[in-house]
Amino acid sequence: MLIKGVEGMQKKWFGLGLSIMLAAGIAGCGGNNNGNSSAATEAPGTAAPSADAGGNTAAGEPVQLKYWTDDRHDQEYIKELINTFNETNGENIQVELTVMSENYAQSVDIAFSSNQAPDVLRLKSGNASEFVKKGYLAPIDGYLNEDIKTKFGSLQLDNVNRFDGKLYSLANTGLTLRLVYNKDLFAKAGIESPPASLQEMVDDAKKITEAGKSEGIYGFALNFKSPKSAFDRSIREILSLSGYQGLGFDMKTGKFDFAPYSEVIEYFKQMYEDRSILPGAETLDIDPLRAQFAAGKIGMYLSFSTEPGVYKDQFPTEINWAGALAPTLDGQIKGTSEIVSAGTWLGISAKSAQQDAAWKFMEYMYGDDVLKTYHEKGFGIAVVPHIVEQAQNPDIKGMEGFLVGEHDSLWPASPTVTPEGTNYADAFFKYMLSGGDAQAITTDLNTRYNDALSKAVEKGEVTVKPDAAFDPSKPQGE
Amino acid sequence: MEFKWKRLGENTLFLIPSIILTATLGIYPLIWMLRYMFYDYAGYGEALFVGLDNFSRLLRDELFWESVGNTFIFAGGKLLLTLPLSLLLAVILNGRLRGGNLLRGIYFMPTVISTAVISVVFYNIFNSYNGMVNTLLMKLHLVSQPVDWLGPKHAMLTVILVAVWGAVGNYMLLFLAGLQSIPQDLYESAAIDGANAGRRFWNITLPMLAPVAQMVVMLAIIASLKGYESIMVITEGGPIGKTEVMYLYLYKLLFPVSTGSPVVQQLGYGSAVGFASAIIVGGITGLYFFLSRKMSKVY
Repeated sequence: MLIKGVEGMQKKWFGLGLSIMLAAGIAGCGGNNNGNSSAATEAPGTAAPSADAGGNTAAGEPVQLKYWTDDRHDQEYIKELINTFNETNGENIQVELTVMSENYAQSVDIAFSSNQAPDVLRLKSGNASEFVKKGYLAPIDGYLNEDIKTKFGSLQLDNVNRFDGKLYSLANTGLTLRLVYNKDLFAKAGIESPPASLQEMVDDAKKITEAGKSEGIYGFALNFKSPKSAFDRSIREILSLSGYQGLGFDMKTGKFDFAPYSEVIEYFKQMYEDRSILPGAETLDIDPLRAQFAAGKIGMYLSFSTEPGVYKDQFPTEINWAGALAPTLDGQIKGTSEIVSAGTWLGISAKSAQQDAAWKFMEYMYGDDVLKTYHEKGFGIAVVPHIVEQAQNPDIKGMEGFLVGEHDSLWPASPTVTPEGTNYADAFFKYMLSGGDAQAITTDLNTRYNDALSKAVEKGEVTVKPDAAFDPSKPQGE
Repeated sequence: MEFKWKRLGENTLFLIPSIILTATLGIYPLIWMLRYMFYDYAGYGEALFVGLDNFSRLLRDELFWESVGNTFIFAGGKLLLTLPLSLLLAVILNGRLRGGNLLRGIYFMPTVISTAVISVVFYNIFNSYNGMVNTLLMKLHLVSQPVDWLGPKHAMLTVILVAVWGAVGNYMLLFLAGLQSIPQDLYESAAIDGANAGRRFWNITLPMLAPVAQMVVMLAIIASLKGYESIMVITEGGPIGKTEVMYLYLYKLLFPVSTGSPVVQQLGYGSAVGFASAIIVGGITGLYFFLSRKMSKVY
């Protein structure tokens, strides 16, 4: 009896201990959330006790700012700029740079949920809207002076850097997209110029493959390991230059319509059937693709204006290559080549206690000289009009083909929705490899994407304004 | 009998770390998942209660059921190749083999190497454009043009082979431990009675190994059904979903990996998929345990 009693008591103690630990664990996590909520509701700009409006400190202690970025290609230049700012700002503001290697968005999430958020963040088109929705960013409208409004006014874009009428970032550079081609392989196959139409692209890929297959040379490749990544750097541009929005959205009706997309896919399918695409491209990542291109094994592919830098530093190559405008559906340019990832660069944390000082730093980074040099060093292609006017072209081999020209422009942002089932890239890639009913696939995509769009609009996640007068040759209007 | 308060205190002290870890890393996420599988939640903003909508979506989600089918093919292929091979190697190495210890180390080595590293190496071995396998086959004139080992037709076979390579050493070691626990006098008695090697294996080794084999097979089944890491590196589930297994599909919902454009986390639906996946793995493991219950009988 006594033993049973002791065992029973031990069990009770154990059970009680376990319950307390569980409660503590769960409450701990809950408490953390509560902490976040209370911190998130603090008025933006609430200054730290020691900071004054200018960011200077009464006791003479420096105002410490944290700047986080996931850009690695420009870090030496950014370090140089920050050092200069730290020495010359005159208000004792010290910026500390953190360059993330991977998982930037997740790191930012963790930082905000644990109240260790940076004061200034690098924003990209892929993360800006999500950061705004999560409440990470502070609007900068109140800081804009007339000079900045004049210089950056034409690049305030809804759902890019402006959300619900509030501005969160300013533009610096953008990425153009081009057909990247090996001039020597084109010449060897007897082709004089890069393809202007998709039919020419199919024919050229076939000729290059026929001329070089014995040496392992193929006409075309893309990083199909991620079909979305592959198509969003190729078909997106082909369509925008042909006069259609590149991600399947119809600006005129405000709905998704993948019919133009399916037209382009037919040509990709033809290249696959012709065996003009590098074998194994189905599981090819972008870097192995670049390595093969640098080795002279690929006739052409489509990609961003980051490629010249890649072939300068990451995969130095002796091949004679260039960038050219993407081909269009019928060889006619009826739209403009979309400049992507433009409109955002730096933003200020909503949780920063030093928002005035953060703006001071941001204002310095958006100075003419900084942006001009950023372009001239080839870190990105300037899209801000007054910088484009005064900056020299970067001295990087191949960059001349990627510079912003008469056929490039920014497009209004298309809504991002998550439909049930396969996304458009996977669905069309499946068709490209294994065939099927293209019409049925297009109809199914239209139905699912428009359903998801309706739901997202209902939930207030996206807003859609059909523009019946939309002109793809002037996507931002006159 | 005197109640030993000191002993209880010591025991509790030792239990605290594991209780904290279990509660925060095991039980809390589980409760979190069980809650959010009834919500439409993207990881931020408002979580919208949707009742059983995520489960009705799951039932009509062709991609999920395809991934379940692929999981069975992957797990079946891996188990069929891994288990006999592991047992064979274990039996061979259990004998008096010169260099046996070295071979054990070599066979076990894949287990301690990072899956990501192994997968990158195998990608380079099997890729179609300059992989070693194709180069060798073409030099030997066995094929006239590169075989697309990672293409839609062969990708599943390739990822199974990689998984087998990575797992054989591990299960070999477990079988070996089982073999070494079989009393030698049983073999000696059988030999005196005139039993040959085959008969000794069939009538002594296999029955005596059954309890260990039951556990090894169970571990192998669970690992095969849950395995996705090497597939993620080699094919990312492609091409056209041919190697998309259940847990990779789940991973992509919770941690979108596409590098093309912004993709949205689906934590609510992902939780429902995670729950369903756990039920499938748990159900198969339970069924196996029921069917193999006689194996646990120790002779």
